[in-house]
Amino acid sequence: MFTLLKLLQSLVRALHSEGTPQQVAAGIALGAALGLTPLLSLHNLLIVAAIFLLRVSVPGAILGWLIALPLGFLLDPLFDTAGSALLIDAGPLQPVWTAIYNTPVLSLSNVNNTVVLGSVVGWLLLAFPIFLLARAGVRRYRATLGPRIERSRAVRAVRATKLYNLFRLFQP
Amino acid sequence: MRRPKLFRWRAIVPLGLVTGLLALAWWALLDRVVERVVEETGAYLVGARVDLESADVRLREGRVVLRGLEVTDPSAPMSNLFEAAEIVADVRLRPLLERKINVDTVVVRGVRFGTARDESGELEDPSPQSGLIAREVSAWADAVRVPPLSLEGLGRVVDAAAVDADSLRTLVEARALAARADEVRTTWDRALAGLDPRPRIDSAEALVRRLQNTDLRGLNVLGASRLVGDARATISELGTLGEGIDDLSRTGQASLADVRTQLAGLAAARQADYAYARGLLELPSLDAPDISPAIFGEAAIAWVRPVLYWLRLAEEYLPPGIDPRRFRGPKRPRRAGTTVTFPSAASGPRFLLEYGELGLELGGEGLAAGAYSARVTGLTSQPTLYGKPLELVARRAGAAVGPSDVAVRALLDHVSAPVVDSLDVSLGGIQLPSLDLEALGARLVLGEGATQLRLARSGDRLGARWSWRAPQATWVRLRGTASGDEAAGAAQVGTRAWAEELLWRTVSELRDVRIDVELSGALREPSLSVRSNVGQAVASGLRRELGREVERVERETRARVDALVDEQVARARRGVADLETKYVDEIDGAREALAAVRQQLEREVQRLGGRLPGGLRIP
Repeated sequence: MFTLLKLLQSLVRALHSEGTPQQVAAGIALGAALGLTPLLSLHNLLIVAAIFLLRVSVPGAILGWLIALPLGFLLDPLFDTAGSALLIDAGPLQPVWTAIYNTPVLSLSNVNNTVVLGSVVGWLLLAFPIFLLARAGVRRYRATLGPRIERSRAVRAVRATKLYNLFRLFQP
Repeated sequence: MRRPKLFRWRAIVPLGLVTGLLALAWWALLDRVVERVVEETGAYLVGARVDLESADVRLREGRVVLRGLEVTDPSAPMSNLFEAAEIVADVRLRPLLERKINVDTVVVRGVRFGTARDESGELEDPSPQSGLIAREVSAWADAVRVPPLSLEGLGRVVDAAAVDADSLRTLVEARALAARADEVRTTWDRALAGLDPRPRIDSAEALVRRLQNTDLRGLNVLGASRLVGDARATISELGTLGEGIDDLSRTGQASLADVRTQLAGLAAARQADYAYARGLLELPSLDAPDISPAIFGEAAIAWVRPVLYWLRLAEEYLPPGIDPRRFRGPKRPRRAGTTVTFPSAASGPRFLLEYGELGLELGGEGLAAGAYSARVTGLTSQPTLYGKPLELVARRAGAAVGPSDVAVRALLDHVSAPVVDSLDVSLGGIQLPSLDLEALGARLVLGEGATQLRLARSGDRLGARWSWRAPQATWVRLRGTASGDEAAGAAQVGTRAWAEELLWRTVSELRDVRIDVELSGALREPSLSVRSNVGQAVASGLRRELGREVERVERETRARVDALVDEQVARARRGVADLETKYVDEIDGAREALAAVRQQLEREVQRLGGRLPGGLRIP
């Protein structure tokens, strides 16, 4: 229930934030990395830093994370297979993995795990299509449904809270 | 249109604060994280729970202190394989950034083996890989067949039904022999009928008689010539008949020799049937090589089991070469996947302990009670990268307790394949363990003595010998109440009480006990042999005491076998005897008669071969 509420909240915030459709879409694409790949990984620290430091939509990133999270669990077998193909079966790539495995800090990235590698590669491949789809979706929403929801009482009430002011700090 | 800025500069400070908080949380939780990692990795390796009381990580000093480590024995979850009071490791920091643990020195204090646990250390949900080695060693131990030593069967009435007539070789062979004799006889009769010698012999005899009664003076030249010609033709016919009978005789001799061999084979078959029937009755073997494993087999398995376990563990986690290796991924809500390590010749090993000192305390009253100090060098997960073998040397540290003579040296050379391990353990003047010997119904208190283990392994092959010497052993009876000749005499022969009395009387006087356990063959499934002077003493005692009983039971068993096979064997014998008689009567008779008549004919022809009256020659 909480997750659903959070999802709705993020959806509304993302779509109604002052960011451009590109910023929201970029936030969703980056946030998808947190959901598609195992969360406690080194690359996700970089993703989180990027979300906060780059002018992408933070609500968009949260939205992307929440949408991608169940997908990540569902796609794990696929990621595992892809990771195995790259790590174990692809002999020519072994020098690359050996170099990464033996390089300080990089070796902490866990890319020598089949699920981590498969999911990171999966996200890298999906990131741009996600961006394009999200941008088109946001544009369409803002042109049709958005203005009516913007004027609704519920949204105005939320905007009047102090929490919203804090949240604005991270708006694009 | 204004282009949006790329960076959100306002977020840097809050982000820095959040990062700082995260770092602080990591710092605060680091000890707990290390604790969990040690427990989970240990449980994966051992296949049973590993508990750590606390971990203290001092990154600035590069020191990790682990306290209260308890490693459960996977085959006995209520006891620990070992425990260590404190482990202080000086760790190099830079390799940690490569996820490698390089320990310069480690000091382990208060190591104890086989301590009891408060709660079971069994894993609730072990992964298929965790504890695999322990399970494989257990499977080997379970598969080792320890021969039973049961004397109770001696008193049983021989169960005739237990000897199945259809399973007796003698019966099968006797039936086959009888059939073969019939077949030879039939073939013989047919061949003899084909030759049909009797009418021709009779005709020749008639001719002889005619020749004998002929007066040459009463014959003309033509008549005499015809008569001699008839005689010569008959001699020639008899020659051909003789050759035919000789051929038949040769074939007959061969067939007869064949059935005679088969007849002789019945004796061996009968012996095999005796052995089979004896096996059904489960009579004990009275040979020392069979009795020693029956007495000490279980104890020997328990002794060598940890040796095999540690050897296998070293093989698995200290492999030669630098090929990528695969492990199950970390435990997490998401799929664990497979983690692959990619060692590099240009880089260091994943785990390396350059030098370690261990303070060991071995059992209070156990195998080798006492305090020891051990030194280990070159313990690494990638020996090829380290380039030197692992060496472990242990010596006695405590002066007041423990063995008076200790020498432990292990060398594990896994730098390249094939791996070569050697272990030499020699402990003298130690308190040896007590053994509950179920087969004898007694406890053997070995007392003070010595033990020596020599092990050499190269590749997959293993050879090890573990010797135990106890010059002052004593025995404690575990079953039965009375003792002595009187009680043994009172008990009915073959009952458990009788058997226990007998064994107790045999071993209770034995003081000097020697046990030798040998392992040889493939590391994964070595063969185990046990020898002991106890086995020899029991064997000779049993031979002395049980000889008469065993003979009686065996006699009854033989009688049963004889009763089942005698009729068929007699029939087969008769068949062979008939055959021999027939051969003598028919073949030899025909041959002798043929030879006699031929000889007579030739004599008569010679007589007539002279000249007719008047000097005429018979053509």
